Amino acid sequence: MTNQEIKELLKIFNESDVAEMEVQRGNNRLRLRRAEAVKEMVVPATGHAGAAAPHAAANPKASTEPAAAAPPSTDVLVKSPIVGTFYEASSPEAAPFVKVGDRVEPGQVLCIIESMKLMNEIEADVGGVITAQLTENGRPVEYGEALFSIRPR
Amino acid sequence: MFQKILIANRGEIALRVICACKELGIRTVAVYSEADRHSLHARFADEAVCIGPAKSSRSYLDIPAVISAAEITNADAVHPGYGFLSENADFAEVCETSSLTFIGPTPAVIRKMGSKQDARTAMAEAGVPILPGSQGILQDVEDALEVAEKIGYPVMIKASAGGGGRGMRMVRNADELPHLLAQAEAEASAAFTCGDLYMEKLVENPRHIEFQVLADNYGHVEILGERECSIQRRHQKLIEESPSVAVTRELRQRISESLRVALKAVGYTNAGTVEFLMDDQGNLHFIEVNARIQVEHPVTEMVTGVDLVKAQIRIAAGERLENILPWAPGAEMTLRGHAIECRINAEHPETLVPSPGRITGFNLPGGAGIRVDTAAHHDGIIPPYYDSLVAKLIAYGGDRAEAIARMKRALDMFVVEGIYTSIPLHQKILEHPDFVAGKIDTGFLLRTGILAEKK
Repeated sequence: MTNQEIKELLKIFNESDVAEMEVQRGNNRLRLRRAEAVKEMVVPATGHAGAAAPHAAANPKASTEPAAAAPPSTDVLVKSPIVGTFYEASSPEAAPFVKVGDRVEPGQVLCIIESMKLMNEIEADVGGVITAQLTENGRPVEYGEALFSIRPR
Repeated sequence: MFQKILIANRGEIALRVICACKELGIRTVAVYSEADRHSLHARFADEAVCIGPAKSSRSYLDIPAVISAAEITNADAVHPGYGFLSENADFAEVCETSSLTFIGPTPAVIRKMGSKQDARTAMAEAGVPILPGSQGILQDVEDALEVAEKIGYPVMIKASAGGGGRGMRMVRNADELPHLLAQAEAEASAAFTCGDLYMEKLVENPRHIEFQVLADNYGHVEILGERECSIQRRHQKLIEESPSVAVTRELRQRISESLRVALKAVGYTNAGTVEFLMDDQGNLHFIEVNARIQVEHPVTEMVTGVDLVKAQIRIAAGERLENILPWAPGAEMTLRGHAIECRINAEHPETLVPSPGRITGFNLPGGAGIRVDTAAHHDGIIPPYYDSLVAKLIAYGGDRAEAIARMKRALDMFVVEGIYTSIPLHQKILEHPDFVAGKIDTGFLLRTGILAEKK
């Protein structure tokens, strides 16, 4: 591993959200870990590792650390997986799927995002209590926009 | 005229379309992936919608995401730029059914031009010279051997649904043909889910000459001269220019006339480029039609005075070509001066290894006859997920010598720190006596030793 390669790996690590990274090339191994308290990483119940691994690392291992006791709440944000229009209920006359204070289970339908005339049901990834609804009925939402916050059980 | 256009692209071409829209008083919507959150095209558009994660297939290539973004912003038209969805006939169709005007040819024309075989047939019928080759798809090994005998080795086997060099094999003699044919078929089936192959005569170290097309929705087709794009590495263009020193006025007129006939017959509309190879006898042979705006369109804009992207928008809005072009329809179009473009890429100038990262120092050249199309900026990031184009540097002069002098001066003053760029490679090319003399072809970089072939 040359100095140039190490510099480039450092640059990639610094520019990413990854908390810890280990790269092995031949006989050399480089491990990088962030010194400061780590923000809580959301690990969805489906087990899908969300962090985009740095492209140049040969064998990256991104590990998450437990939530530090930091000012931001421990709530988990439910983010929109698609672009579309947010609807609280299955139809204008129906009652909303959930409201603040409700307990929800993983897989429970929270809302609908309409995209190209198709109604997509958005499910909770974690179980817990709805602490806030972060958008309004009928508002357009983009990819990654926060819809609800859930305090996990 | 449209009220709002969504640009289904990123980087410099998205900015280019935003520029055209601003000049026409049209509001713009940018779409961006999470990796492009701070990019210039998202910042300069009137509205911006995040459509997905970094991966192209889940963002810029994701048709539902792009269409939904148009829906929630109430856009009335979509400009697809180049690459991504620009030649995706399905996308053009979905736009239509979603009441969005697709700024480009119709889905049927995109489909037809996208089939290399159909395009060849259409051109041949109109008298456009095509490379000697198979009549349609190769049936089997016997058929292939027969065709190869007839047109003469060396030959090139190509995938009908193909592109990007895949499903292509060069065959020098009858002995190697059967197994190379099998390889090409396997590769084509895997890459394009269609193993159909055709064969063309191989022209060695040709010049790459292409013609710019503009056509309105009323059957009027104009050809805006040619570009030469012979300086390439592995089918990736590095330098383009207009006009070509190898194209005489007579050749330009003759080809333009037959292209007008061919494209009118297929019902072509909006912008496009017809690509040719020129052999060592100066004969042009058709290879393919790109039914979209191209990266190198600025060099044509400089020598014709026509803003091609604005023309695309105006054509899609229903305007007539005679109101868009500054010369009378059918009149002989003249190219004024000479323009050269260098594609400045984020890559090591010798190894060509990609060099994504943060730009820590940035100075753009300016001055007489210099144009830079870029979405890069100081402190900006060139992400690793997309193409490596940092900027297009265009130099315009009264003649080719002045364009070269201005380009060299501009390359000297183009500062990019923090990443490697191809600027030193471009400087080497511009210095080379063969380039200055116009003695160029697609084998230039290897022949001159400026780039060594990777083993």
